[in-house]
Amino acid sequence: MKPILIALICLTFTACTTVRPDPAVLESAEQAIQAAEAAGGDEFAPVEMRFAREKLESAKKGMQKEKYVVAVYLAEESEINSELAIEKSRTAKSRRRVNELRKSNEELNARLRATFGDEFK
Amino acid sequence: MNRTLTKITLVLVLGLLSACTSAPKKDLALERVRGELDNLKSNPELAGYAPMAVGEAERALRKAEMASGDDLYRSYLVYMADRRIQIARTMAEREQHEQALDVLEKQYSEMLIKASQLEADYARKDAEQARLLVATTAEEAQRAREEKEQAQQNEAESARAAQSSAEEAEQARRLAESRASEAEYARLEADLASQQITSLTRQLENLQLRETESGVVVTLGDVLFASGQTTLVEGGRSSLEEVVDLLQTEPDKKIRVEGHTDSRGDADANLLLSEQRARAVLEALVSLGVASDRISALGMGEDFPIASNEDEDGRARNRRVDVILLDN
Repeated sequence: MKPILIALICLTFTACTTVRPDPAVLESAEQAIQAAEAAGGDEFAPVEMRFAREKLESAKKGMQKEKYVVAVYLAEESEINSELAIEKSRTAKSRRRVNELRKSNEELNARLRATFGDEFK
Repeated sequence: MNRTLTKITLVLVLGLLSACTSAPKKDLALERVRGELDNLKSNPELAGYAPMAVGEAERALRKAEMASGDDLYRSYLVYMADRRIQIARTMAEREQHEQALDVLEKQYSEMLIKASQLEADYARKDAEQARLLVATTAEEAQRAREEKEQAQQNEAESARAAQSSAEEAEQARRLAESRASEAEYARLEADLASQQITSLTRQLENLQLRETESGVVVTLGDVLFASGQTTLVEGGRSSLEEVVDLLQTEPDKKIRVEGHTDSRGDADANLLLSEQRARAVLEALVSLGVASDRISALGMGEDFPIASNEDEDGRARNRRVDVILLDN
């Protein structure tokens, strides 16, 4: 009975406190947030930016409490939210350009119709 | 005595084991994420775009599906797969926009070219009319001379018309080019604006946000309505502005407004109250600019508490309106 108990306890501990991970994991998530900020994430993807920041904070806390596995997961979840925020920002800008151009085409078409009547198209 | 103890231990150990192996809730999450990827791949407007990102999402999802081991690891993999799919979807949308931009730019210069052709046609017709007029009113000799002159003039004019039509085509090209640089400026301006927009984030920090299976939920606390009332309190509408800012960042997603109450009072009355409140919030959001065809309201009554109904603190948390940005 005793050895099993000890084995169980060991197992539980290793799950939480393996080797201290490379601090670069946090740095990389931090840099991803900065890149997302520069891409306009706060305007175009505020939800993802918020998750990215919250998860990085939790990852830092996890690191301090030596919950390394959870901390690494959280750092990566933070980073992928920044990545998504960058993509969303770029797509929001391209969507805006499409809408602008569509509008100016409609305006030009209306102007030309007014000038040339039915002969235009 | 000793035997019963052994039995209890055995039951406990079995219980623990089954808790690890059967995890139907996780599988539901996985199924939902799988559904999202299938959705993206079969979407007629987006299918075929961003193949690399879709492939990456597919690999992330497989990894989650194959994973054995602890729940923490698996839910992490499911989360990563979900985000990869959203990234792929966003990139596919952008590629679609870029294609639309090409088409629109082509349409623009085609319109300008067509317009310059029509203008040249008009000029030719005018010249023809002038020549006929002169021909019928002048003396014979005069006419002969004038016709000669006119013919020369005509030649010159049609040369000019041809010249001006060429010039106009050139102008159309230049316009198209200047449009391209305008787009570039617009992009630069957007970048600058976004650098100055951090104030918006600060506002959003006041909102209660959480991620759920159905999407991101914004919880509006117990401050919008007076007790028993179904119209927004004064100032309630303006406090919804930051919610609208957030909703407008996801213009393609549907929105569901859910009213909830605490458990005091009659359940039917609570259901009605929650529905009327959800509707009031919906109307306020629409009046602040949210498109009415993407938003719906629902009364949930008292059946979905997020805190205990035993004390006033918990009841206050249960009296709320959830605004949900639906994933699909």
